[in-house]
Order: sequence, then structure tokens, then C-alpha cells
Amino acid sequence: MSSAPEVLKPLKTWSHLADRRKRPSEYEIVTVNLHYRNRDPNIPWELDPDIPMNKWYRKYCNESPLKHPDWDSFRDPDELIYRTYNLLQDGQEAYVRGLLDQFSDRGHDQTIAPDWLPVLARLYAPVRFPVHIVQMVSCYIGQIAPASTITSCANFQAADGLRWLTHTAYRTAELAKTHPAAGFGKNERQLWEEDPAWQGFRALMEHVLVAWDWAEAFVALNLVVKPALEECVLGVLGEQARRHNDTLYGLLSQAQMRDAERHRRWAGALIDMAQSQEGNRALIDGWIAKWQPMADRAIEAYCAALPEAGAAELVKTRVAAAQAAMVQYR
Amino acid sequence: MTSLKQDEYYDLIRGVNWTPKYVPEEEIFPEEMSGSRGIPMAQWEAFDEPYKVTYGDYVQTQREKDAGVYSVKAGLERANYVKTADPGWVSTLQAHYGALAVAEYAAATAEARMARFSKAPGNRVVATFGMLDEMRHGQLQLFFSHEHTRLSRQWDWAHKALYTNEWAAIAARHMFDDMMFTRDAISTAIMLTFAFETGFTNMQFLGLSADAAEAGDHTFSNLISSIQTDESRHAQQGGAILKVMVDNGKIDDAQHMIDVIFWRTWKLFSVLTGPIMDYYTPLEHRKQSFKEFMEEWIIGQFVRQLDDLGLKKPWYWDTFVADLDQAHHAIHVGVWFYRPTVWWNPAAGASPEERAWLEQKYPGWNTTFGRTWDVITDNIVRGRLNMTLPETLPLLCNMSNVPIVGTPGDKWNTKDYPLVYEGRLYHFGSPIDRWCFEQEPERYKGHMNFIDRVLAGLVQPPDMAGALAYMGLAPGEMGEDAHDYAWAAAYQRKAAE
Ligand SMILES: [Fe+2]
Ligand SMILES: [Fe+2]
Repeated sequence: MSSAPEVLKPLKTWSHLADRRKRPSEYEIVTVNLHYRNRDPNIPWELDPDIPMNKWYRKYCNESPLKHPDWDSFRDPDELIYRTYNLLQDGQEAYVRGLLDQFSDRGHDQTIAPDWLPVLARLYAPVRFPVHIVQMVSCYIGQIAPASTITSCANFQAADGLRWLTHTAYRTAELAKTHPAAGFGKNERQLWEEDPAWQGFRALMEHVLVAWDWAEAFVALNLVVKPALEECVLGVLGEQARRHNDTLYGLLSQAQMRDAERHRRWAGALIDMAQSQEGNRALIDGWIAKWQPMADRAIEAYCAALPEAGAAELVKTRVAAAQAAMVQYR
Repeated sequence: MTSLKQDEYYDLIRGVNWTPKYVPEEEIFPEEMSGSRGIPMAQWEAFDEPYKVTYGDYVQTQREKDAGVYSVKAGLERANYVKTADPGWVSTLQAHYGALAVAEYAAATAEARMARFSKAPGNRVVATFGMLDEMRHGQLQLFFSHEHTRLSRQWDWAHKALYTNEWAAIAARHMFDDMMFTRDAISTAIMLTFAFETGFTNMQFLGLSADAAEAGDHTFSNLISSIQTDESRHAQQGGAILKVMVDNGKIDDAQHMIDVIFWRTWKLFSVLTGPIMDYYTPLEHRKQSFKEFMEEWIIGQFVRQLDDLGLKKPWYWDTFVADLDQAHHAIHVGVWFYRPTVWWNPAAGASPEERAWLEQKYPGWNTTFGRTWDVITDNIVRGRLNMTLPETLPLLCNMSNVPIVGTPGDKWNTKDYPLVYEGRLYHFGSPIDRWCFEQEPERYKGHMNFIDRVLAGLVQPPDMAGALAYMGLAPGEMGEDAHDYAWAAAYQRKAAE
């Protein structure tokens, strides 16, 4: 007989964090290693191994061509947890509320130039649809990602998509009050579905909704689709708004761009981590090459409808720069 | 100020359905993920939750709520309630956190399923908040339990339990995965947000919060009642989805899903919540019995909600009501007897005073479950502790994954309800568990419960030592009697006289 086994001693933290030299942060305590479906990659869910959802998670998460031996070692560079996300965004929302109220009190919408109003109606108000799809695809990445630290980033990104949707809905309703004949709050779905300016983005976004492999969905959305959309509707549209005395949208779009910059930070960190493994860089480049032409067509169609010329080239340059920054994250 | 009122722009937030063109609708919303059941996209736009929030309200309210619970925690940190709490209460906390903290974080995936795949745009909006809520619940409960890891290795299970093959963890996963993570968006809305969150979460998060307040554990009481305020908000999705289902002739589908998951939830709560309310929580802090909480929250409130939607009580209602006097008492004996196989220290709750309370709350307890405790008590009094510990493994139900139990004594009714399906023999603890299996055998047929794994040779050696190793339980983690048998002292004195 062997001697009685040793009684396990209490630890200062979770056992999965205990053998590091560093004391774990609050972020690590509450974010790392939370997908218990990773316990058994062959049977993610504790039911019949071959139910459709087990097959779905095996195929699109565990057997993704993008490989890493330890996705759970990913860390969000912003180390956001639920508590700090709300702190951060409540502050940002207070700023936006202040903007909206101040401009409303000054009668901003009455002063919008007649040539700018149709631009807002056509190229701004329908933004509800693509940012909602950003929300939806981020929710997909959140539910299919191989590590809880990735899921948390994707889920906050989804919430930011809802934030942008909410701002757009608010402004649309406000503009409709002052300019009831301009179609605000009425025409957006039709514009999204039929206006040539939007068909590039609509095609792009409908396709990214069915990128089921978690890593392809992430690369397509965060490295291609989002930068393209953001540089169009937050970037150049915001800049042209300022030059047309729509200072409010200039500031609002910048406020939203802060979220996008944070998304690019975590995406860059994740790409950086993935690239430490052989073969991944080629895979990522391949996905970018696959999605970029469709994104370019979306950018061209949208920018062609903007009042100022040359926007498409500007957006493409910025998207390329954003991608380069994410791919060479460090 | 001239801010818009919420109702002036809320419909634009949720007015985001469009008709896909470049990719077919059925590819963007695959039926296995969406579960729209032939109800057209436009019909789902009728989804309407009664209590609405917008993003700005959400982050503000939630920031304030978090400030509240974290400051209560900080304020009471020095008092270190858990260090001096009754061991039965500590076990309550450990069982609760282990079964729920990581599962709640996972529940964000269920909300994300709805936020991505529901054809109801309003559902996609509310579920995004629900997804954030569940991250909150997971993270708060991990943070609050983490500070106790220094006290005993059992606290490590607040994080680790669901990663193990401990039998109760398998049972919890089997039920949670069935309800939350492996179904389409509409089923998830009905099963998780309606059946589970509208009904049962009140039991755990308000009932237990009341006990915690009585016990003086204000940190925990505050924490879980704050969680329930989120639950009751995002639970609204279930009723709103059910309304669309009912209005589109799918009431039978809805009823069927509720019938399946209500039973599964009941079985899980009879393991998780029943014993902690009626046995672990110190007698003087028990606000109500488990049965009384069930009568208030489930038989009262939940049934009213079913009525409002034109739905019926599950078909096995009388059996369920009768089970309120049985299931958790039986499971409690089992868990206490098999105490080395759980990550907390079960409190027997069988002192003379506690037995008097049980007899009062559950008339007839003494002549049924009391008899089992008579034998256990007698063995303890005679110093035969080995006879109060398990040597063999129990028969487990292939649906609930918990031991097949019944009422002992004169009303002995423990029975296996077997089923042969595609040549394999399955065991069930009740005809209703077997009925659940028969509804969708493909979901369950290839799953192996703990005993199946022993028989398949996965547990080596195939005895108690091998079982404990397979479950990941080492000395320092395995359960012992919470009070080191102090509850039996009165019987010892009596025997000595
Ligand atoms: Fe929750
Ligand atoms: Fe919930």
C-alpha cells in the first residue's frame, strides 16, 4: 500500500493561474479559461457527440485551419472586464449625450445646409443596418471563439455595434423631427436594399455573416470589413460633415471611432499571437486577399456617392494602413 | 434639455431587419441555429419586450449596480464573514459558485446565439444586453469567490468544477448544455429565458438571497439579488418570443419545449438548491423551506405567466408537485452519503431541532427520510463511520445524471425506468426523465453518464478510488461532513444516558 496521499493546500488564486510568478490581475481572475467546452475538443457539449451543435463547434472552432496550441493565453491589451467596460462607456455616453443635447439646444438641425441634408439621409441614416451586422457578426465570433479572452473582446465589440446603431437611430429620429419631408426614419431599409451606394457594403456584410470558421470570421470582420466601413462612415463621412458645417456628426463619428480603435488593438494583439505559429501568416494573408476585393467594391460604391471626390482612395489607403498596423502589431 | 424620449427612437434601433439578397436568407439564418419554424421574418418583427432599455441607460445603470455590489463587498471585507460563517453556509456558497459562476459566463454564448441568429430584430437587441449581463454574472461571481481560495482548496472549484468530470458537474453541464448552448435561438429563448429565468432563477437568486441576508452574509445577498435584477430584465425575451410563436400557430411546439426543460430544470434544482436551503443553511437563518419557495415562485408566479400566454402547466404537473416532498430529500441523503465525491462539505442537517423543522415543513419526513437518517445517526453514535461512507457506485439516470432515488421507509418507491434504444439499455429515475429522452433520442443517445464510463473502462481502477481520481477530487477537495458530526452529539448523549 502506498502512503496516504497528500492533502492539497489552499492556493492564493485559481489553480490554473497559480504556477505563474506574477500575481494575477482582476482581469485574469475573471476572464481567463472560462470556456468549459474546451475541456474536451471532441465533445464540446455534454450531450451526444454527434448532435449538430457538437459538429458545428468541432468544425468551425476546434478544427479551424488557424492553429495555436493555447488560445487561452490570449490577453486583451485593454484588459477590459464587464465592470470597466461600463465605466468606460458610461463616460463616453455622457460625452455623447452632452453633444446631442447641446447641439439640439442650439437648433443645429435647422442649420444643416440643403446640400448636406440628402447626404445624411442617404449615406448616414442607413448606417443602422451595417453596424447592426457588425453587432451580429461580433456576437457570432463571441460564441464560437476558442478562448474566453477572445470572446470577451468580441462581445464588447458587439455591444459597441449596438452603441453605434443606437446613436444612428437617435440622430435619425431627431433629423426626422426637423426635416419631416426628407425621409428620415422611413427610407433607410429601402436605401440599404436598393441604393447603389450601399449595395457593395450590403453584399460584403451578407457574406461575412456566413463566414462560419471562427478565425476567418474574425479576420474578415476585424481586418477587412470593419476598417472599410469605419473609414467610410466614421472617417470620410465625418470629415466631409465638418466641412459642410455638420459639426455634430464630425464629433459623434470621432467618438465612435474611439471604439473602433480599441477593436483594432485587440485584433492586432490576436493577429500577433496567431502569427507566432508557422503557416498562420499565409492563412491570414489569404483571407485578407479573399475579402479585400469585395470590400474595395463596397468602398468605391459608397464613396462615389459622397459630395467630395477622391474619398475612395483615401479610405483604401487608411484601411491598408490599419491592416498593416494590425498585422505588424508590436 | 431637448433630449428625445426613448419611444421616439426605440423602434429605429430594433427596426433593422432587411431582406437578404446576395446570400440567401436561409444561409444567413440557418434553421438549426435560428429555429424560425417557418414563421416569416416579418412576423418576428412583432417581438416586443415590455421593459425597454437603450445602450446609454444600460451602461449607466449597470455601472451604478456594480458600484453598489463592489462597495458592499469592500466595506465588509475586513469582517471576513466567510471565515467565521457556519460551515453549512460555506458549503452553500461553494456548491453555488462551482455550479454557476462559469456557467453564467457561458450563458453569454446563449444570449449571443439569440443576438446573432434570431429573426426577431428586437430579440437581437435585447439579447446583446443579455450577453453582457451574463458576462457580469460570471465575472462578479468569480471575483467574489476568488478571495476565498486561501481558505481551502475546495474554493478552487468555484472556477474549476465545470472543467472536471465530477458527477454533479457532469449533471450540471448535461442540463445547461441541453438548455442553453446546443439549440437554435428560438428554443434558447423559450427554454432558457422563459422556463429557466422567468421561473427558477428567482429560487436561486432571490430565495437564497433572503437566506443569505438572514445569515448575515450581506455581500452574497447583495450580489445575487443584484444579479437577479438583470435576469428579470433579460428573461422578458422568453415571453416576447412565445407571443410570436402563439400568434403564429406554434403553441404546441412552445408547450413541448417548456415541458421538456421545466422537468430538467426541476431535477437540477432539486440537487443544487433543495439541499442547501433545507439542510445546509443554518436552521435559524432559513427564511422559508425549499418547498415554500417553490410554491411561491414556481407554483404561484410561473404558472400565472404560463396562463397569461395561453400555455398550460406541463402534463406531469401532479407528479412534479408530489416530487416537491421527495426529490431533494432523497438527493440530499445521497450527496451526504457520497460526500467524498463532491467539492463541498455537505451539512447533514439532521440534529433533533433540524429534524423537528423538517417534520413540520414536510409532514411524514420522520417516517420516510428520517428512517435513513436514523440508521446513519446510529452508525455515527456507535463509531461505525465506515458504514456511513460509500464503497460502491449508485445507479445514475441517463437524463438527469444524478442517482436514481426515491422515498425510503414505508413509502419505498425507488425504481429504475429502463429503456432500450437502438440496442443500448438506458436507465432513468422517473418516467418523465425517460419521456424527455424519447422526445429527441438523437440528442442524448451517445452520452455516457458516470456509471456508463465506469462500465466502459474509462474509470481506472473501477472502484471508489478510481472514481475520485477520474472526478479530479483529491484530499483537501473531497467533501466531508460539514460539522464533523457535531450534529450527532445530542444523539450520542442520549445513547450514553
Ligand atoms: Fe445570469
Ligand atoms: Fe440569465
